[in-house]
Amino acid sequence: MSDLLVPRSDVGEFRKRYRWLALFAFLAFLAIVVRLFQLQVVRGREFAETARENIIRRVTLPTTRGIVRDAQGKVLASSRPSYNVYLVPGRVAPSARPKKRGAPVMDEPDTFPRVADTLRLNPDERARLAQRMATACATDEDRSPCWRPILVREDLPRDIVAELKQHQVELAGAEVTPSPVRYYPYKNLGAHLVGYTAEIDAETLGRFRPQGYESLNAEERAKVNPLGYDSGDTLGATGVEHAWESYLRGQRGWEKRVVDARGRYRTGPEAERLIDAPGRQEPIPGRDLRLTVDIELTQAVEKSMRVHPAGAAVVVDVRTGRLLAVYSKPDFDPNDLSGGGGRERVRQSWAKLSTDPLHPMLDKTMSGSFQPGSTFKPFSALAALEDRLIDPEETVRCDGVVYFGRQPWHCTHVHGKVAMHDALSESCNIYFAKVAEAAGMDRIAKVAQDFGFGTKTGLGTNPEAPGRITTRSWYALRYRGQFRVGFTLNTAIGQGATTVTPLQLALAYGALANGGTLYLPQIVRAVETSDGGVVQDFPPRVHHKVAIRPENMTRVNEALWGVVNDPKGTAFPVRDAALDVAGKTGTAQTGFITHEGDDPKKAWYESRDHAWFAAFSPSKDPEIAVVVLIEHGGSGPTQAAPVALQIVREYGRLQAARAGHPTDQRQRAANAKP
Amino acid sequence: MSAYGLSSSRLLGRARENFDWALFLCSALLAVVGVVNLYSATSVVRASLQEMYIQQIYWLVVGGILATVVAAIDYRHYERLGYALYAFGVVLLVLVFILGRDIRGSSRWIYIGSFSLQPSEFMKLFLIIALAKHLHDDPKSEGRTLVDLIVPVLLTIVPLLLILLQPDLGTALILGLIFLTVSALTRIQRKSLYWLLGGIVGIGGGGGALFVPLLWNNVLKEYQRQRITAFLNPESNIQGINWHAYNARVAIGNGGWTGQGFMRGTQNQYLFLPDQYSDFPFPVFAEDWGFLGSIVLVALYGFLVLWSIRVAATSKDRFGAVLAVGVGALIFWHAFFNLGMATGILPVVGVTLPLFSYGGSSIVTVMMGIGLLMNVSMRRFYVAPGRAARLGYM
Repeated sequence: MSDLLVPRSDVGEFRKRYRWLALFAFLAFLAIVVRLFQLQVVRGREFAETARENIIRRVTLPTTRGIVRDAQGKVLASSRPSYNVYLVPGRVAPSARPKKRGAPVMDEPDTFPRVADTLRLNPDERARLAQRMATACATDEDRSPCWRPILVREDLPRDIVAELKQHQVELAGAEVTPSPVRYYPYKNLGAHLVGYTAEIDAETLGRFRPQGYESLNAEERAKVNPLGYDSGDTLGATGVEHAWESYLRGQRGWEKRVVDARGRYRTGPEAERLIDAPGRQEPIPGRDLRLTVDIELTQAVEKSMRVHPAGAAVVVDVRTGRLLAVYSKPDFDPNDLSGGGGRERVRQSWAKLSTDPLHPMLDKTMSGSFQPGSTFKPFSALAALEDRLIDPEETVRCDGVVYFGRQPWHCTHVHGKVAMHDALSESCNIYFAKVAEAAGMDRIAKVAQDFGFGTKTGLGTNPEAPGRITTRSWYALRYRGQFRVGFTLNTAIGQGATTVTPLQLALAYGALANGGTLYLPQIVRAVETSDGGVVQDFPPRVHHKVAIRPENMTRVNEALWGVVNDPKGTAFPVRDAALDVAGKTGTAQTGFITHEGDDPKKAWYESRDHAWFAAFSPSKDPEIAVVVLIEHGGSGPTQAAPVALQIVREYGRLQAARAGHPTDQRQRAANAKP
Repeated sequence: MSAYGLSSSRLLGRARENFDWALFLCSALLAVVGVVNLYSATSVVRASLQEMYIQQIYWLVVGGILATVVAAIDYRHYERLGYALYAFGVVLLVLVFILGRDIRGSSRWIYIGSFSLQPSEFMKLFLIIALAKHLHDDPKSEGRTLVDLIVPVLLTIVPLLLILLQPDLGTALILGLIFLTVSALTRIQRKSLYWLLGGIVGIGGGGGALFVPLLWNNVLKEYQRQRITAFLNPESNIQGINWHAYNARVAIGNGGWTGQGFMRGTQNQYLFLPDQYSDFPFPVFAEDWGFLGSIVLVALYGFLVLWSIRVAATSKDRFGAVLAVGVGALIFWHAFFNLGMATGILPVVGVTLPLFSYGGSSIVTVMMGIGLLMNVSMRRFYVAPGRAARLGYM
């Protein structure tokens, strides 16, 4: 018998239920449709906007930092191309990623071995990197670190960059990113003046991007952060790079790009269709700067100071206040600190520079202040002369020592009978004891302040020390005890608490030389466009005229000429008859006290006097003022004066050489090798 | 001569006259649209994935052949073999633990040569057949008591637990829902119903308080817990666990009225959609075709589900009716859960969209289910013994 013959079962039990099941299914699908209406029609525009934000990214377009040139057009700081390589773990080593359920096996080859070969990684680096990538790819969700590039090499050699670019397909996942590096062709030369650039630090960045910055609109952002600083940016850290940052930096542009969830850029008509106008804002390149300094002269300064471990020199044009050479020793190579060669090089260089006992990072021309010693005497003399408190022709007898009460006070030599001229040229302290007595501390301070001492010059490239010009009230505040006459004597000869910076001294001697005009120091002569056009030209600026009568100034200047040219002048033994120089030597005691247990070699060095020579040349119609400080150099006449004279000699030689070829200076500058 | 032998070819001939064109066309349309959508969904991903739609076509062909075979054999043969098929399915589920490999913390696959098989998918059909056989053999015109439900519950709970152990929450959920749907078909005595409801309230209130923390802490995996909390706070943590669900909704919304156009949905083209070929094919479709396209798609699923109820209603026997309702429930719950999770009204549970999601086992299962529906539909007419005799079936 067949089953076919058996009547089929009774379906009555189910009959009433179908309707309810159908209703349930209908309502469920209706709920879906209602929800779809809500998402697609009611909130459609909102989601469309979100979808747009997902794929459109504003990519910043880099700008180029301005070039810094010296007065002759030689490049002191520019940017050179540099390339960093990043690896995207998920693309370099697909095998490190977890296998995906249900998805077909993807047989993408690992490019890592080949990439590692190309980058010349050593086995140790290779293993460490492989480990790091495996950790990153524990998951390969779209936003996992598996897709985040890892920085592997900085400032790659050119041949590797070329190789990476050529074999892009075989080396998938290795990304070469340009990251221009600041380049200083003259290396150490002028390092303090030009300065260096460095990656922005957290504190500075916090100032430009305070809390809640992300939620500000474009206008408010421009107010807090006009130059658009972001983390990882470089900015000028010291010197001209720092002070003129806003000119040099330029303004970044942006471009809208289509990006996918893994951060890859998409191109082609299909992607470009999605970009709305305006799609691009061009970057504005930074301005170039033309400095007043002459790098060749700075080179000469460096050469003439080569035997001395530490010191400073300033050459200023007395007719304009323009700085021609600014040199602080020991120096550093700004290329070490500006990121070229990678972060490791920066770190190592910092470690070395910050532990150097001679403070190479300190700009001694303006950030350091020192006792001026006898180079201060002309100003004491002027204080006494100006109020006719002393007769310059009257002589004082110098026995080499004078007693204040029981306190002996020594002179450098036994000078015998000296009037003002000889007292200055031979640097007699006994005579200046009389000057101090006659003028008093506050009169000397007034004249010194008139010449710019005790206040910052306002150059602004590096933090400036104001120096100190002591007054009676200063001592009254500082010392509980009685005011002593010795304080005034010390002030008159530039000792004790009086300190100046070499820059101040140079400007003050400039004012002596040019008949009493104190200029504001000038370091940037002009702002230029990248093609050489002048945007802004800075004329010399006079700070003020000093209130000194010309005949007194002339008298002092004659004495300064005598320092070099009188047979008994302190600098006469080292003079060069061919040079027309007036100046003043200085040997400043440093007041160093040796403690027990000090390194004897160090103690010997530290206890030596600072050697100074401050001069101008030529003595009639002067052009330049030169100040040389040899830290712990010993005697001013023997250590500092020859350096200063050498500088004057080089200045003359350069002037003569350039006078011969006045037209093609820029051409030669371009050809000349640093 | 066996009744199941060649002599039944004439019956098949009769059945051919009753070919269910509506069911066939609706399914074929869904399959074609599904492949087209898969093409869009995988067009952007790397080259190896671009072969997916071709693979899917292969699966559809295999599924079509199997569906034809399934439809051709009179479903009463399945009735006879019901428990054997069920046992076969359970054995396969057990084999998963022995042969399966661990992928992403769960083992769901059996590998035979280069093929991989997901027994839990086929188990859905075997369960439907077993439940149908039980209800067919056990007519209770006066209504069922709780005791009568013990066998169906046991039939369901064995594979359900095995699948939970894999663990595969989505498939287990579907099994449970198929059981509930089929149970809803039966008449349960009023008293038993009260007991049942009382029991559910009791377990829900008292036991729930006890078991939910236990379930939460010990049974559920970390990713499952995250999905539930993410569903409860949909707009929170968009960068993290909710990122996928959120971007799926953005894609749907981005479709607007008429959509971005075929292969132009930016969320999909720029990789913001996760699992766009397995769990989230619908956002791809909704983004490409917009609200208008989406309601057409929902209507197609709705039609398929309602049509399966119609097939059940016109079925000549209890086995066919339960079979049709079971397959309808399979399609309904898959579609409803998948669309619900894509639109954010249900938590993210790994449930595929029938004929849209990529995957061999899933496609073949759905196709075979449709084959069963066709089978029941073609053989809906009761052949009276006398007529059978006249037709020469004796």
